[in-house]
Amino acid sequence: MTFSLSFFLLIYALFLLLWGVFSLVAIYHMFRFGFLNFTTFFTTFIYIAISVLILFLSYQYISQISWGLNITVFEDLFNNWFNFN
Amino acid sequence: MEIYRLSNKLPDEKIIKILRKDLFILIKKIALFVLLIILPMIFSYLMLAVYPDLLHGTVSYPLIVLSISAYYLFIWLFFFFTFIDYYLDVWIITNERIIDVQQKGFFARIISEQRLYRIQDVTSEVQGFLPTVFRYGNIYVQTAGSKQRFFFNEIPHPDIVRDEIIKLAERSKKKHKDIS
Repeated sequence: MTFSLSFFLLIYALFLLLWGVFSLVAIYHMFRFGFLNFTTFFTTFIYIAISVLILFLSYQYISQISWGLNITVFEDLFNNWFNFN
Repeated sequence: MEIYRLSNKLPDEKIIKILRKDLFILIKKIALFVLLIILPMIFSYLMLAVYPDLLHGTVSYPLIVLSISAYYLFIWLFFFFTFIDYYLDVWIITNERIIDVQQKGFFARIISEQRLYRIQDVTSEVQGFLPTVFRYGNIYVQTAGSKQRFFFNEIPHPDIVRDEIIKLAERSKKKHKDIS
């Protein structure tokens, strides 16, 4: 079975989407139900800043990988299964 | 005093105290978070000792990069939610009532309240080695006509808070007696 390496990137993108939604829910909770004080603003800022840092560092590594590469898995397995000679 | 949007604010109601769980409870959660940060580092160190070519593989390298990124984003979000859970779980003591605000998971929030003049019994409890050392514990508030007790969970200095609630309850009872 052959598929592009970018398939993993697609799964990662889906994870990022889910992570983004939950991050927005968390920030919404902070401001909707929290106290309007320095701690609320500061912790939310720290959360966003560290998240951006993780995403930036991830991008630095991810951008260097050639995602167009095709990979083959289970080839021998399938060949052995369907080889009746 | 922290700015808090008190729901259904009563006339002349003032916030006396806002309580959260003891700081030690948050420190325990931070320690778990630090452990979760360190664990993959130890794991990758061990894996690289056994498979030194792991970071040079055409498939293994992209998978490792994506996994590490996803892992750290996830635990960072997990920690933020843990902090929110700690930060938004509050007990508000006003001169008229006690309010319990509890954040349960992502989408559940429970708010309950009791009027001070209805309080019949306040019990503080410090049980165990760590609560005794760090001076945190529970407070149970029993009110008239209510089978369920109001519960302050793992708050700092429960004895002092209990005394304060008793004083406020006495004052509130006197006030309501005078009115009636």
